[in-house]
Amino acid sequence: MPVTTGSRAQLTRGLSLAAVIVVLALAAGALDSAFAQAGPLGAVRPPPAEGVAGWIIAKQALFYRALSGLIRAAKTDGSAYWGLMGISFVYGIFHAAGPGHGKAVISSYLLANEETWRRGIALSFASALLQALTAVVLVAIAAVLIGATAKMMGDTVRVIEVVSYTLIVLLGARLLWVKGRGFRHALHTVRSGPELVAAESADHAHHVHAADAQCHRHDTDEEGDVLPWGHAHGPEPEELAGPGGWRRGLSAIVAVGLRPCSGAIIVLVFALAQDLFLAGVASTVVMGIGTAITVATIATLAVAAKAAAKRLAATRAGYGSLILRGVEVGAALAVMMFGVLMLTGTMASERMGMF
Amino acid sequence: MIHRFASVIAGLACVVAATGPVAAHPHVWVTMTEELLYAADGSITGVRHAWTFDDMFSAFATQGIEQTTQGAFTREELAPLAKVNVESLKDYAYFTYAKVDGKRRKDAFRDPVDYFLEYDPKDTVLTLHFTLPFKTPVKTKALEIEVYDPEFFIDFGFAEKDPVRLVSAPAQCTAAVEKPHDDNFPITLRLDQAFQTSEANIGMGANFANRIVVKCP
Repeated sequence: MPVTTGSRAQLTRGLSLAAVIVVLALAAGALDSAFAQAGPLGAVRPPPAEGVAGWIIAKQALFYRALSGLIRAAKTDGSAYWGLMGISFVYGIFHAAGPGHGKAVISSYLLANEETWRRGIALSFASALLQALTAVVLVAIAAVLIGATAKMMGDTVRVIEVVSYTLIVLLGARLLWVKGRGFRHALHTVRSGPELVAAESADHAHHVHAADAQCHRHDTDEEGDVLPWGHAHGPEPEELAGPGGWRRGLSAIVAVGLRPCSGAIIVLVFALAQDLFLAGVASTVVMGIGTAITVATIATLAVAAKAAAKRLAATRAGYGSLILRGVEVGAALAVMMFGVLMLTGTMASERMGMF
Repeated sequence: MIHRFASVIAGLACVVAATGPVAAHPHVWVTMTEELLYAADGSITGVRHAWTFDDMFSAFATQGIEQTTQGAFTREELAPLAKVNVESLKDYAYFTYAKVDGKRRKDAFRDPVDYFLEYDPKDTVLTLHFTLPFKTPVKTKALEIEVYDPEFFIDFGFAEKDPVRLVSAPAQCTAAVEKPHDDNFPITLRLDQAFQTSEANIGMGANFANRIVVKCP
């Protein structure tokens, strides 16, 4: 293949790959931006008033008011519990569209890794339920046992916050280290030039066909200037999804799920004030499930984006692999950046009331 | 090569931008009634806020506070909390923004005075009262006061009845309120209206704040 047309074709493919990733990532972020008020760097803008976002905001207010009404009603009317659970669930779904529920971190984490959609969903549920659990534990200890004030609880949340955001920074840094190496390797493969790649490809042809039959499928009809991306010397997806994978995911779950949901804390304390702490706990857990569904939806989009990128990359050998590794490095960088921004308070996550 | 890198970088930037936007969800609802205080010479000396928190947040805020009567709090019992409130509100510029003759005035207010919390045992809600004095009293034909939380953790809304009052104002002065949203969103939204909204959002976001418009012709 002549070099000029080849590189133009590669450029086109590269651009289309980038475009697909962008579109999917935008879709993943759509729920986020439906609520976006302030830019990541704190551009001050009041909430939108109309349109879909305004409508969701208004609905959220209605759900929230219904929540307090139902907790009150549950005091005397046992059947109110059903309504309370239903509203908690729906409120959880809407509520998670806001910040502080790890959507950005989890979807970036999934973009950076080779994860299945099942694992994406599992990660989302585990972190959302951990968030509910930490809220219950915090209120149980602080309010029920010690009789702490709102300010003391707020201060505690702030400490947990710092730990959580630091963990996110560390998680991002580790990902960046691992993915950076993969990227350097892919870069090296591309730099070694078409001739070398062609020779290498020819050399390894039998090995490639044996080991990576399914990855190589797209490339078999193309001539020797193609190195299947699966042949890159980074770890294979199968290895990563294998045993020990859960321990890897655990760091993400803890980093994201450690910080309790402010809304859950308020609901729990309110329920406690009505002498219905257990109703508050049940509501918090159901809310957590609703939250998990929203986060899992966005996580699934992230996994789909990655899979699409992978398919496109598979059609374009060295460069495809390079772009894929580049996306991973970018996503790892994003995880770290989110942690740093939240740690420095540049990016608002959640606020514990106004105290 | 450079082009390819550029496209990769651009793609990544978009991924980050797409997953990054700070969205917000309110945890606190505030119903406000506002008063504008006038001096004898017709200048406006300050804004007196009365912010009533929703019952859940009120329960949260009063958690662990000593009370002599079950289910009620006196102003004295709530005094330390009121102090904490107004002090931490300083970090958020009291969520109060002033526009004099169409121009935003930065750092317009002094520290709050006459602040206290009141507890309504019937509705179990807290109301925070505080007055923000202007650093220099404002004498103008058109004053706008906006109240909102840019991060939207607090959802401010005007009280349904008498949300704004002008105190000892010259007779020709009038006040009106503009609300950012209603709970009743029309089920069928016309497309042209939707576009108007999105365009307005880009250029003039502040249009959607709770706004008090005072005119003294």
